[in-house]
Amino acid sequence: MKLVTAVIKPFKLDEVKEAVKAAGISGMTVTQSRGFGRTGSHIEIYRGKEYEFDFVDKVRCEIVCDDDQVDGLIDSIVQAARTDTVGDGMAWVSDIEHVVRIRTNDRGGNAL
Amino acid sequence: MLWATNTPYPSWLNPGDNTWQLVAATLVGLMSLPGIAVLYGGLVRKKWIVNTMLMVFSGFSLTLVVWMLWGYNMAFGPLAHFGPTGSFWSGFIGHFTPLSTAGSEQGQAVSGANSVIPFHFSTATLAYFQFVFAAITPLLFLGGLVGRLKFKAWLLIVPLWITLIYTVNAALLWGGGFFAQKGAVDYSGGYVIHLSAGVAAFVGAAIVGPRRWQDRENAFPSNLMMVAIGAGILWLGWNGFNGGDPFYAGADAASAVLNTNVATAAALLTWLFWDMFASRQKKPTFLGAINGMICGLVAITPSAGWVNGVGALLVGLIASSVVWFAWTYVSRLRPFSKVDDALGVVYTHGFAGLTGGLLVGLLADPKMVEYGVTGAHFKGPGSFSVGGWFFTHSFHQLWEQFLAAAWIICYTGIGTAVIFYVVKKLVGLREDDLTLREGDIAIHEEEAFPEPTFGEPVASPSHLHPDNV
Repeated sequence: MKLVTAVIKPFKLDEVKEAVKAAGISGMTVTQSRGFGRTGSHIEIYRGKEYEFDFVDKVRCEIVCDDDQVDGLIDSIVQAARTDTVGDGMAWVSDIEHVVRIRTNDRGGNAL
Repeated sequence: MLWATNTPYPSWLNPGDNTWQLVAATLVGLMSLPGIAVLYGGLVRKKWIVNTMLMVFSGFSLTLVVWMLWGYNMAFGPLAHFGPTGSFWSGFIGHFTPLSTAGSEQGQAVSGANSVIPFHFSTATLAYFQFVFAAITPLLFLGGLVGRLKFKAWLLIVPLWITLIYTVNAALLWGGGFFAQKGAVDYSGGYVIHLSAGVAAFVGAAIVGPRRWQDRENAFPSNLMMVAIGAGILWLGWNGFNGGDPFYAGADAASAVLNTNVATAAALLTWLFWDMFASRQKKPTFLGAINGMICGLVAITPSAGWVNGVGALLVGLIASSVVWFAWTYVSRLRPFSKVDDALGVVYTHGFAGLTGGLLVGLLADPKMVEYGVTGAHFKGPGSFSVGGWFFTHSFHQLWEQFLAAAWIICYTGIGTAVIFYVVKKLVGLREDDLTLREGDIAIHEEEAFPEPTFGEPVASPSHLHPDNV
């Protein structure tokens, strides 16, 4: 059981969602988030006063899947989220101890 | 037709004039509610939205009560003649009396400003029309004070300021008082309203002291779409502001409306131009364009129906440029750099009002006739026009405009300072620092965007719960 976390450009969310579905994954949770990486900051101007924004808008996607699905899923996400410019984001994989489906109380692989 | 021969109006009342005057007044009222409320609400930080909007709504209400009880008659009733005829004190102020009887509301409107052609509507119409102008003035200078002014102080400042400052300036320039007799003119309030509001904002802000430094550093506007709504209502509401001031639904009202819009469009584009080519960032900004728009509206106000179309274009172009450079460079000089005029009222209303008022003395076209009895270009009895230097090659009008501006700046400046020091003694002017950190919730126990997910009703068990019904 793995947790795949991908931080992507917000306008790539739709494509990533379709790619994740196509990879046979049944669910995904997304959160609006902000982060900094190699993109650097941007400036906003309000009434002549400048403000520097280090944190850039991102969407954080979380997907729980079986161990044998991970590689295919990562490939799908990379393909869908990539624009070949700075700030395309990152994905990482972590181990999960336990998963429970709340409605049925199913555990482990059956919960997905 | 019984209706045509047997109208329910007195013979002096013209339904067209009366209708336009009431519509124009309502348009001007909309500039305050919700115009200024959402414009300022959108420009302040999120934590000050409720406080700012409540000050706007309560200020509007306070002015109307003061207006009925004594303000209208002090500003526009018969002059009190405290000195010999023609002297300054003779034309200083009207009487301290209420506008409360049926006769005084429904009788024909009379004002010292125009004794030649009688008004064609009732006193109630004139009083309401003049009220919405009085009401917006403290709301404008509120822009300099938001983000730290004590709410109780505001409730005292508005009635005192309307009574002691606004009525005097209105009587002197509009109520047939001293400066009106001398020949200074102010079509719709470039001086009485905007220059005065700019000065009051600046002096008030100096006395109240700056916002918390963190709030100044981090002065994010809360909502640019609300700014768009407020600014749009201001622009189109100004059709009533300037279009209503001939007091007749005639040719000059139409000229004033067209000129107002021309000057405003020119001023908006001018500010955009300076932003794109002369600012450090070289970016066209929405909030900059809105500043330019306000400069145009304010600057054309003293001359709306007295300049021609080219004059209006020049007024917008010149005023927006003057204010852009003041906003960008003069703001770095003392005393401007030392005073926290939160929304920059001294620039967009003070500098713009002064520029517009002086431009009357240069650009007013004597062929633009107010009260032309049979139409434009007719100089019959009661007709009125103003000649600027460009047409008359005389600086006389400019000099009169200068004197009136000097009066407004000095009287409003000193009077506002006295009022603020008195209010400081009575209830204090600033919220304390802990309150300023929290803003709306600490002062009103309300916030602009309540988040129901994290709130629970306090009364528990609820009397609405099925178990308790």
